[in-house]
Amino acid sequence: MADRRRVNGPGGSSLPPVYDDGELDAVSRRQRAPDAIRPLYLKTGVTPSASGSAYLEIEPREGEYGSGMKLACTVHGPRSLPRSAPFSPYMVLSTHVKFAPFATKQRRGYLRDSSEKDLSTHLETALRGALIADRWPKSGVDVVVTIIEGESTRQDAVERRVEEWDVMNVLGGCITVASAAIADAGIDCVDTVSGGVAALVAGKDGDETSIVLDPVALEHDSILAACCVAYLPNRDEITNLWFKGRLPSAASYNHQSLVSRAVQASKGTHGLISASLSEVIGNSQN
Amino acid sequence: MAPPTYDDDDFVDQYDDLEEEEDELSPEDKVAMQNGTAEVRKALGVEAGKVTVTQIQEALWHYYYDVDKSVAYLTKTFIAPAPKPAPKKAPEGKPGAFSLPANQALFLRTFGEDDESLGHNAYSTTVCDIHRLACAFPTIEKPQLSPTFFDDMPWLDIPRDRETVFIEPPRPRGGLMGGTGAAPKVSKLQALAALRKKKNEEKKAQEKAVPLESEVTKLSISDTNKENIGPISKFKDQSSQHDSTVASTLPAQERATTSDNTGNSLGEDTSLPTITEYKPDADIKSEEAKPVIGHSHAPSAFARTLFGSVSEADETRRRDVFAMPYTQSPSFLANAFSEPSPDDIVLAARAKAGKKASAAAAKAPKKSQKSEEASKEAGLASSVSSLKVSDAPPPKSKGLDVLKEFEQSASKKNASFVVVGHVDAGKSTLMGRLLLELKLVEERTVDKYRRQAEKTGKQSFALAWVMDQRSEERDRGVTIDIATNHFETESTKFTILDAPGHRDFVPNMIAGASQADFAILVIDANTGAYEKGLKGQTREHVLLLRSLGVQRLIVAVNKLDMVGWSQDRFQEISEEVSGFLTGLGFQEKSVTFIPISGLNGDNIVKRTEDAAGAWYKGPTLIEGLEASGPSTVRSLKKPFRMAISEIFRSQQGTTTLAGRIDSGTIQVGDALLVQPSGESAYIKSIMLDTEAKDWAVAGQNVSVALTNIDPIHIKIGDIICHSTDPIAIGDTFTMKAMAFEHLMPMPVDLHRGRLHAAGQIQSIAALLDKATGEVIKKKPKVVQPGGVARVLIKLEAKVPLEPGQRVVIRSGGETIAAGLLE
Repeated sequence: MADRRRVNGPGGSSLPPVYDDGELDAVSRRQRAPDAIRPLYLKTGVTPSASGSAYLEIEPREGEYGSGMKLACTVHGPRSLPRSAPFSPYMVLSTHVKFAPFATKQRRGYLRDSSEKDLSTHLETALRGALIADRWPKSGVDVVVTIIEGESTRQDAVERRVEEWDVMNVLGGCITVASAAIADAGIDCVDTVSGGVAALVAGKDGDETSIVLDPVALEHDSILAACCVAYLPNRDEITNLWFKGRLPSAASYNHQSLVSRAVQASKGTHGLISASLSEVIGNSQN
Repeated sequence: MAPPTYDDDDFVDQYDDLEEEEDELSPEDKVAMQNGTAEVRKALGVEAGKVTVTQIQEALWHYYYDVDKSVAYLTKTFIAPAPKPAPKKAPEGKPGAFSLPANQALFLRTFGEDDESLGHNAYSTTVCDIHRLACAFPTIEKPQLSPTFFDDMPWLDIPRDRETVFIEPPRPRGGLMGGTGAAPKVSKLQALAALRKKKNEEKKAQEKAVPLESEVTKLSISDTNKENIGPISKFKDQSSQHDSTVASTLPAQERATTSDNTGNSLGEDTSLPTITEYKPDADIKSEEAKPVIGHSHAPSAFARTLFGSVSEADETRRRDVFAMPYTQSPSFLANAFSEPSPDDIVLAARAKAGKKASAAAAKAPKKSQKSEEASKEAGLASSVSSLKVSDAPPPKSKGLDVLKEFEQSASKKNASFVVVGHVDAGKSTLMGRLLLELKLVEERTVDKYRRQAEKTGKQSFALAWVMDQRSEERDRGVTIDIATNHFETESTKFTILDAPGHRDFVPNMIAGASQADFAILVIDANTGAYEKGLKGQTREHVLLLRSLGVQRLIVAVNKLDMVGWSQDRFQEISEEVSGFLTGLGFQEKSVTFIPISGLNGDNIVKRTEDAAGAWYKGPTLIEGLEASGPSTVRSLKKPFRMAISEIFRSQQGTTTLAGRIDSGTIQVGDALLVQPSGESAYIKSIMLDTEAKDWAVAGQNVSVALTNIDPIHIKIGDIICHSTDPIAIGDTFTMKAMAFEHLMPMPVDLHRGRLHAAGQIQSIAALLDKATGEVIKKKPKVVQPGGVARVLIKLEAKVPLEPGQRVVIRSGGETIAAGLLE
């Protein structure tokens, strides 16, 4: 007679599943050129109820599950400020960046944490430089970016602590998608701001440093420094700059080179935004 | 997840023969090793030949090039008399850590390729090196799937070739992950079942032997084909296939990107940004000169699901309704639940039958045998259909014609009278004496009261205690609340309402007076007491009686024995009171003066035996009462109204209310409404005096037992009425009021019987002529005493009052007006 008073464990041993997404092998190495950015998919007008919206997607490489990104952005407004708000001669911009709870390998909370607030601040700075805020007095606009899928969803990313670098990519994506959504909302801007990331990566032995555009942290052994810019290509202005990491002292790279590479990346992204927007315009004209 | 690293010696053993000698020593290590080897050899001297170079190096490695320790170790191990087996070899690379090489960690590789151009899915499973399965963790490589792999995947009915095969991961050897590693212990029963299952499978297998065999051979072929393919070559294979798929999808992408070219040309902008002007070297310059071309890729499956336009292919494939798997079952009926289940039908029928039976049972005893026989068929049907759903069925109404019954009833007349007068005029004593004389109270009881009263020094109160039952009343020697009692003479049933005389309890007197047909005004004939009374409550009570519509009055001049049966005194009082009464509008003929002595019982039932009182030839009190009878016209045909004067609550769920029926008739089973709460109830029984009745009419003081009501909804002063003809409730009333004091807009109390409500005079609409009722003055500021005015009263709460009812207005303990609601 079995012991019925207690909750007994299973009779046999159990086995946790073991996945073979093991080491950083040749397959997961960066295969694009150092100055190539990953292909994007950008679509505007995805949320009918919002004034403007956009969806940005960076697909992982064929057959890879490592690094992809899915971002959705909605823009509400410009709408009149609540009565309680003080008078503002400019448009009041508020940005919210939120990871979906399932966006990353480590689940996110439902409340915004500090990293999300940090991203929101960066995004606000990036957009504020592009918006012509004095055309919309006494009004507010809310930009809400939801990260449906974060950059690295693999356990590897958690173990190797590369998330801090992935945040750069996420911010770049946020800027790009928010810019497209603002354009979709028809809010006056001086230019479409686009985000770009460049990183200084080290080779296997810690030497052979090189600058790559649109870095995926998992594809490199180590990232020494990364830079994310929000760039206005037609005005040649940077609205937000985020530099992270430390450049090797002896290296022949300096901050400016990294920034200029990031600008190059954002130029590439800008092309995609304008292509996507012109496609929408073309569709509406037909 | 990286393959786990082991530093377990057992495991290391397994790979001793497999490990390649890899010299991963750093140059410094090499130098140190060479030096160390030389030194050890030197130290060993002759014995050096007994050990190999490798052994020396091993020892050195272990002892971190410590020559002395290495020598000691080597000597002990290899040169000493009892040489021990060779030391375990340490792994190369990082000491203490061991990781499996990738090419050996891989045993089982499931490799899938989706070749869409051919529309053919080839999955081949390569199992290599099966004997090592138990040695280490197998890792299963994920099949390479193109992102479009799941595009045409249906929700249900997945084709065979798309289904995956779950290969159970082999268990680790030796309980590495906890547990014994052995198969779980099975019970005898389980073992038996397993055996039976195995037998069955074997039987089946024999039947299917031929096709299986062919498949097995196929499998083996593929095994041999792929067995020797190393991981690198596999990778090549994979990448080449990967390339081919890329190539096949490339044209589409190119098509998509050609339109982007204009956009991409921005990236080719040769005018480089100013910030990039500073270039550290030419290499970067050339790199930066190259335009960054962003490619747009096709939307992923997720994105297409979200906002992809519904393509025709999807349209055809998509079905609005998916058939549930159970619909294919032969026992499935689409409309199985569209009608009540057999159980429901049976239950409903049973409930119906039960209802019929109970209805018949309820009816049976009430109907006469004959009529029951006759009307059984039709009556049953109609009664069943008229049955209403209710928690407790209401008491059955007999459907009597109460008026006819009342006329036919040979019962005696009913009359109720109120005894009023100034405090200590002897009202209660008079009533006590009356009841004693009529033998309704035992002599013994009065004697007992007398003894008790003597103890407290209130000897004269003994008779009053017959009426004043409450201890508070006995202590204070005054009547506080109405005391009700019944007696009957040969012709009439009387209800006594003994009203309090004290000015503090005038509201109770009003309650009593409103229930009375006529009144006995008791006047203290004592010198001083009479005069005091006339100024006090004698006057107020008479005013109230008049305003409450009491017309018949018996003036009992009491305590005449105290003044020696003085006829002069009686005459004086009679004339004075008579004048006062006529002034108030009482008719001469309806007022009777009787000299009595309540304490002694003279002229109450029996004539006085005192010679001094022999001058009186008129009726005794009881004769006077019998002569009075009900003076007011009873409004039998009006809607039923009854003011509640007392509430008795019983545990049985019935509530008994006592009161006098103001108008209308009731019978058992009537549905009633209690106002102002609006709760409904049914009459369970009616008690007139002490006997149960089926009906009651206006003027009778009855106790009505109600069912179906919570007593919390009833309070003294509420009006009960028929639910078919309910009394309206309101809080604003216009009334024609006769002022006894100055009237002006002020807070007042409105009294009607037991009902009293606080409110205020909102406005005085007009001053009226006392006789004709014509308007003398509109909107007067104040009404003088004796004046008649139309006033508007607003109450704080809603009360049940009707036009035509007489109310009394009091303020600050004084009666200030009385009037008629309009």
